Amino acid sequence: MVKCTINGQTVEVKEGTTVIEAMHQEGMKIAHYCWHPGLSVAGVCRLCMVEIQGNPRLQVGCNTVVTEGMNINNTSDKVKEAVQWGLDFHLINHPLDCPVCDQAGECGLQDQYMEFGQYDSIMAEPKQKKHKVVDLGPTVVLDSERCILCSRCVRFTTEVSKTNELGIFNRGDHSEVGTHEGTSLDNNYSLNTVDICPVGALTSKDFRFKQRVWYLKEQKTICNGCSTGCNIKVYFNTEGFFRVKPVYNEQVNGYWMCDQGRDIYKFANKQARYQGGKRYNQGQWVTDEAPGHVAMQASKVIAQNKNKTALILTGQYTVEEYEIAIQSFLASVGNSIGIKNIYHWNSHISEINNFDGTLLRGDRNPNTKGLIKVFEKYNIQTQVEDLEKAIEAGQIDTAIVAGPEDLTYYKQSNQKMVSLISALKNIVWLQSTINPELEEKVKSNLFIIPMKSYLEKSGTFINFNGIEQSFRAVTTVMSQALTLGQAIGLMMGDQKAVLPAAETAADHAVKPFVQESRPASQVMAEERKKNEFIYKRGATNER
Amino acid sequence: MSEIKILSQYYDKPEFQFLEGYKQNGGYQMLEKALKMQPQEIIDMVKASGLRGRGGAGFPTGMKWGFLPKNGEPRYLLCNADEGEPGTFKDRMMMEKAPHQLVESMIISSFAVDSHKSYIYVRGEYYKSISILNKAIEEAYKAGYLGKNILGSGFDHDMDVYQGAGAYICGEETGLISSLEGKKGQPKLKPPFPAIQGYLKKPTIVNNVETLASVIPILRDGVQEYRKYGTEKSPGTKLFSLSGNVKKPGNYELALGYPLKSLIYDLGGGIKAGRSLKAVIPGGSSAPVLTAEEVEKANLDYESLSGLGSMLGSGAVIVIDDSQCMVDCLANLTHFYHHESCGQCTPCREGTGWLDKITHRILAGQGRMSDIELLVKVADNMKGRTICALSDAAALPVLSFVTKFRHEFEYYVKEGRSLVKGKVLYHGQMHH
Repeated sequence: MVKCTINGQTVEVKEGTTVIEAMHQEGMKIAHYCWHPGLSVAGVCRLCMVEIQGNPRLQVGCNTVVTEGMNINNTSDKVKEAVQWGLDFHLINHPLDCPVCDQAGECGLQDQYMEFGQYDSIMAEPKQKKHKVVDLGPTVVLDSERCILCSRCVRFTTEVSKTNELGIFNRGDHSEVGTHEGTSLDNNYSLNTVDICPVGALTSKDFRFKQRVWYLKEQKTICNGCSTGCNIKVYFNTEGFFRVKPVYNEQVNGYWMCDQGRDIYKFANKQARYQGGKRYNQGQWVTDEAPGHVAMQASKVIAQNKNKTALILTGQYTVEEYEIAIQSFLASVGNSIGIKNIYHWNSHISEINNFDGTLLRGDRNPNTKGLIKVFEKYNIQTQVEDLEKAIEAGQIDTAIVAGPEDLTYYKQSNQKMVSLISALKNIVWLQSTINPELEEKVKSNLFIIPMKSYLEKSGTFINFNGIEQSFRAVTTVMSQALTLGQAIGLMMGDQKAVLPAAETAADHAVKPFVQESRPASQVMAEERKKNEFIYKRGATNER
Repeated sequence: MSEIKILSQYYDKPEFQFLEGYKQNGGYQMLEKALKMQPQEIIDMVKASGLRGRGGAGFPTGMKWGFLPKNGEPRYLLCNADEGEPGTFKDRMMMEKAPHQLVESMIISSFAVDSHKSYIYVRGEYYKSISILNKAIEEAYKAGYLGKNILGSGFDHDMDVYQGAGAYICGEETGLISSLEGKKGQPKLKPPFPAIQGYLKKPTIVNNVETLASVIPILRDGVQEYRKYGTEKSPGTKLFSLSGNVKKPGNYELALGYPLKSLIYDLGGGIKAGRSLKAVIPGGSSAPVLTAEEVEKANLDYESLSGLGSMLGSGAVIVIDDSQCMVDCLANLTHFYHHESCGQCTPCREGTGWLDKITHRILAGQGRMSDIELLVKVADNMKGRTICALSDAAALPVLSFVTKFRHEFEYYVKEGRSLVKGKVLYHGQMHH
């Protein structure tokens, strides 16, 4: 450990710590753009200036290693002036287009200006003209005029994604970020460059112009895109979910996440989901039923075929849900028959150990390990092959399937499963997202019960590495949708399971926020109410 | 007082360019001598000689060599022949007139620092130097001065010439290393310094052409004899490139400490008739300008010029007579630095452009009084804030021009035309 003094405060840090790291560790403020804890040090923005006693020249905090007894200061007038000028150098050629810039509200330049700047511009010269709307690849757009050339994105593609598509071309104030000839920013980690871009130079094609960020709420959760379980933040408002960003977790994902994981919010939005329960019987569809009602209807059929009912589970639900579902199932069917009729459905059994070298794993289920753990607890040893054999042998005539949330990677596997069970007498299918394959192919007695997406429930995923990560419900999109525990409980007649204490306490702590569609008259009435308040306040002031 | 020709003794002999002629005039004798010495002895001699880097910074060469870690890693010796400092043309002459002098001195220096591979990084525009050097290296290989087991000493060494792409910034040692590594020529963040982690992340020494060549007279004549010329803190001789408004521009080898005035009036033949001296940039375009009064007191050594707030730099003396408009001169310089900034560090990337735009606006007759103060402020805040010294090099001329010739700037702003030339000197588009 090394002892030093920063702004008069004695600080103890590990050997090899840089000044900027030490200051962050102590929660002290220090201006910076190019420095990023997940990337190498570039030292080019020259904003993290600090004064070190005994050195007449200001030093950059990012490349200065703390030594014993070092006396560091970044609040002196000398440093303040340097930072202010540093900011001015960043701003002289930066377009003042904040009102139309997608980054406004979460912009490094805006933040630092409010923190360290706040002066009028003295730049009277014409600003540098550079390329606007440069298409870097399938996911990212570049506005070179807004770029402050911090080189974070370039370092990211060299050091993290190791794809080397980006570089800085030309020199001096003509410098522009771009892709090398014959390449485009097309890798599965490309959107991280948008996250680390401190300004609005790099914007995500998926997110740009959809929302102003100050209209979004954010909440931390776990990505369900694969078995890595990256820590993420989901951004949402009353219109739905809009984007996903990674959250730092040293043990799991560091600072990053993959582009495929960024799509998960789409499967939780209403457009992708069953709006109500559905039943199909003898050529007739009954639609828009309450999910709970469909479950009750299904329970009647199951009651008649208890010993021939199979429970098929994907690794897409929480540990807590598996516990309740299996408990309810076994309690109703009886342990000895029950444990033989529960199956683990994994679409990517052969690719389960694949790994792209950065974050993405072949097993696209967030909780395969969790399901296996619960299976072990109840001594369930059946494989998917056993299901085929049992169906062939006529031992199964009813299937309850807890389907995947996102069908993208389950597409083929879904087709197989649907054709495997389509001949059965009764099929109860639990899923949050619409499954056209199922509705098209199945001609027997079918119950479709809308499930809550994982963003609407609390629970635990166990990642490939055995790390247990609990998360809380982000919000509610479909208030009537059920959790797996509730659905199975209802079907098995286990009333206690319907609202288990462990699940509801946390669920109820988060109020429904994403609203189900409101009639226009109601919206107008609410708006009027808001305006009334404003008029009234004005009137009071006048008096 | 006249020239002291130690390095340039035989430069007027055309045969000196070739191995044969070089050997006839004592060439490669020092290599034979050196290979029989202990490497540390050579380093100690260079240290004792007080030789300082001739590229511009004036860092003691022996001390630089001493920074190499003793860890058995491969080392590289790089010769900086990317002579880009405006006004400097001494290295070019050395390479064209005496390529073997550089090759020999590089083999000796490599032996001293235990390097088995060296590169000469030559400025891209110097086609002639490059072809002459390549030929000299070929001759040296044939004669057994390069390659395996040089002169039976057991010391192996290989040498190559690398052609730069004509970027000023590649004359900065870490910029040179980046370029040599095949990357964009951009200076590297220090620490680590090149002596610890340089070319290909291995310990590296980068020395100027003239610095390396000076090792030969040090070995030949001994430390005592070498220190006979020059001053206590600036020993030896140095080549000075005289240019601008003088009658006899050219390269002159002088003992350090030589009076600047003598160079201009005695050796350089003085200013054109009817003109008088206005200013001198004593050490390449980055050095702060001296007024005619300051020139009277200036000697060409490190300490005298730094005492006057300027620097010896690369030894390029640019003479400016009273027919020149200082605003115009400065605009020329700011344009150069704007064009040459690598664009890595924000203060330099944005500051050089800003200075260029302001000076050209003044030059176009559209200046404001506040611009003069703004120039000073911008330059002040570019100084000492970046990875390499280009930002300082761009700021120092601005500060010195504006402070010492403020009346010319004020006149230009007030009247909208040059005090000296009586007209607007810039009608072009504001460049961007």
